[in-house]
Amino acid sequence: MEYILKNGIVYDPANNIAGEKKDVMFKDGKIVDNVSSDAKVLDVTDKIVMPAGIDPHAHVAGPKLVVGRIYRPEDSRKGVTTKTDVCRSESGFSIPSCPATGYRYSRMGYGTVTEAAMPPLEAKHTHEEIMAIPNVDVTPLPLFGNNWFVLQWAKEGKIEEIAAFISSWLKITKGYGIKIVNPCGTEAWGWGGNVHGIDDPAPYFDVTAREVLRALSQANEMLGLPHSIHVHPNDLGHPGNFPTTINTLECVKDIEKSSGMRDQTIHLTHAQFHSYAGTSWRDVESGATEVADYINKNKHVTCDVGQITLDETTTMTADGPMEFDLHQLNGLKWANKDIELETGSGIVPFIYSGKAPVSSFQWAVGLELFLLIKDPWQVCLTTDHPNAGPFIRYPRIISWLMSSERRQEMMDNLEVRVWSYKRTSLGSLDRDYDFNEIATITRAAPAKIYGYQDRGELTPGYNADIAVYDLNPNDIDPIKEPAAIEKAFGNAMYTIKDGQILVKDGEVVKVVPSHTLWTNVNGFEEQEKAVMEQVMPTFNRFYTVKFENYKVHDHFTPYPIVTEVQAGK
Amino acid sequence: MKTITLTLKKKSQIALEFDELIPDEVFDWEKDDFENYQVPVGNKRFPLTDYFDLEVEGTAEGPEEVKMILEGDCGRVKYIGCKMSAGEIIVNGDADLHCGAEMTGGKITVNGDAESYAGREMKGGELEIMGSTREFCGCSYIGDWRGMSGGKITLHGNAGKQLGECLSGGEIYVKGNCDILAGIHMTKGFIQIDGDVTRWPGGQMKNGNILINGKLGILLEGFVFDKIVKDPEIDGKSFSGKYIKYTGDIALNGKGGLYLNAEKNRELL
Repeated sequence: MEYILKNGIVYDPANNIAGEKKDVMFKDGKIVDNVSSDAKVLDVTDKIVMPAGIDPHAHVAGPKLVVGRIYRPEDSRKGVTTKTDVCRSESGFSIPSCPATGYRYSRMGYGTVTEAAMPPLEAKHTHEEIMAIPNVDVTPLPLFGNNWFVLQWAKEGKIEEIAAFISSWLKITKGYGIKIVNPCGTEAWGWGGNVHGIDDPAPYFDVTAREVLRALSQANEMLGLPHSIHVHPNDLGHPGNFPTTINTLECVKDIEKSSGMRDQTIHLTHAQFHSYAGTSWRDVESGATEVADYINKNKHVTCDVGQITLDETTTMTADGPMEFDLHQLNGLKWANKDIELETGSGIVPFIYSGKAPVSSFQWAVGLELFLLIKDPWQVCLTTDHPNAGPFIRYPRIISWLMSSERRQEMMDNLEVRVWSYKRTSLGSLDRDYDFNEIATITRAAPAKIYGYQDRGELTPGYNADIAVYDLNPNDIDPIKEPAAIEKAFGNAMYTIKDGQILVKDGEVVKVVPSHTLWTNVNGFEEQEKAVMEQVMPTFNRFYTVKFENYKVHDHFTPYPIVTEVQAGK
Repeated sequence: MKTITLTLKKKSQIALEFDELIPDEVFDWEKDDFENYQVPVGNKRFPLTDYFDLEVEGTAEGPEEVKMILEGDCGRVKYIGCKMSAGEIIVNGDADLHCGAEMTGGKITVNGDAESYAGREMKGGELEIMGSTREFCGCSYIGDWRGMSGGKITLHGNAGKQLGECLSGGEIYVKGNCDILAGIHMTKGFIQIDGDVTRWPGGQMKNGNILINGKLGILLEGFVFDKIVKDPEIDGKSFSGKYIKYTGDIALNGKGGLYLNAEKNRELL
């Protein structure tokens, strides 16, 4: 089937197209240069046309989502809809049901999302849940930052073993890249502790976050994975943590990049939670200027923000000790899990309120990062869903980024408290994002950061993943009309995925199964075999499951998209 | 003033849901509107007239001028008066789950028993149950930590387990007996129980007051003896007689007050 999207105003940052009136054509699921006269015409005159959105960091599938839903029925009752001819009924606000997750991303014009924390032991379950999410492709990142094998080899400096282990484990878990969460800290949580800064050793293994980060980064580049290491640094949410963040970024600066698909060697996730100065919540100040300065000066770094949306949400992370701190802070219910030799996790509901000084401060720090990082290719739009807020708030964040007036208004009429401008520099930042920058931080940059070769741009041969928004960029003044921006980005006029129209006028009209993106490393088979011989005795001794039951078999990924990588190339 | 009388003619096995039939929604409905209305039953809807005979008298400008009377055994009618803000509902029979849940104003009288979750997350208004109720009367939604925060529930019969769970305001008055864990997790508000209590009132309570005029089976270990009070005044209400006052739950550093009738609980002295 051939289609032509006629007369839209196209924003395609990867191809340097910024608001040009042109047609976009696609055929059999791919973008093409031209189509025959039989092509079906979709009139999108003067509407915004972008590649479909790509979310580089969210928690949408896996065991902690399930625990979250089980222990927060009061969240599930929000956002309940009745089923339609196309959709199943939806439920949930911060932790929506699987179908709701797919529909809601689709309605915002998104086509791909990263599940940013897949414990290898729970990979099977994560994939089962991905199968239940329609309409949006999912890229799962397995966790390696507190894995016993990795900690041991990092201590011994055995980079090739780590590389072989990762190469092997990406196949076993059907994962895309390396996720690191509070390296050494979650392992320390197994002893009831945490680590502070990147040179504080984990108990027993006596290895530091610096050593683990460097080892995993070197292994990542040895394999030449499409994505860099994806790092949630130590000391999340602690006042005075920005030096830890900068040290984390700095410690892998000298490691040479081997993949041509991306520019960075480290991706810093939810940077907002890692950009605080001061010593306690009493004297906390923003460290966003320092972190943004570092990112501006260093091209080996990219980040996503984890913007606070001022909602009641559910925090869930593999950073077990941090969740315990949070539970101590707000006194709300807490779930905790130890994932054997791999990682841990915690879940706590949290209310970010504009009436609270700390939430207002955090809200402002996130926006500061967006506004202070000069190159939009180095920063992505996320809320670390659901940790800082649900992903359905992306359109609202876009409206904040595009309107300094709206931000000022929020500070003036006390929608956020004075800490938002007294403890940060937000009040002095008058930058307004334009549509091209929005297209960069929500599509083009994430695609580049993940080394995607099939999405994120409207280049012929790429997947026909396209979003059309009911806005005329020549007509609207985003500074004055934030509500219209939010509405349009929340209700795509068209969401097209692999050439199929899934959303029309903000309504899901078609449901398709999602794909799973994973990376298959070739040319490392010998090393993998050798490393498995080392792994198996420990595996058999300590894991509660048999290896035969550990592996994610092919039927868990019925619609895979495999990135084939030649090791070291 | 508008009087809407619904007389049950057929009891459904699957519960009917009445949260759309509250004064706030129906004050301007004519008889036709009720006759055309389809009531949710399970995952489907059926005409209201399949189950009820209808009578509508008078007119109303707003919900406060509405009086709804449900005649017959409404033991399979859920969500009666759920989320109502004004007006009056009288049930001449039993009521099913969630009667008066999330109501913010107005009055509901049940001349019979009410099932569990009566007055869940109530914020205001008055709920009077002439019979008994079962579990979680005046509680929070399952999983939530924010329970009933205002209004008054009066129970002439007995209450079930976890009465006033997570109570953060308002008042619950039980004239009969009460089962375990009344006022669990409560942070504010007042519970009065005239009858006997099986065990553990006020588990994990942080604040607020519970007064028991009957005999208590087992007291929780988290409550420490404070003093003997005579004719106490609690939340502006005066009570006559001698009471043993406990403070708890100390497991949570709670400052809640638990008053036990000294006469009936002599062995605790």
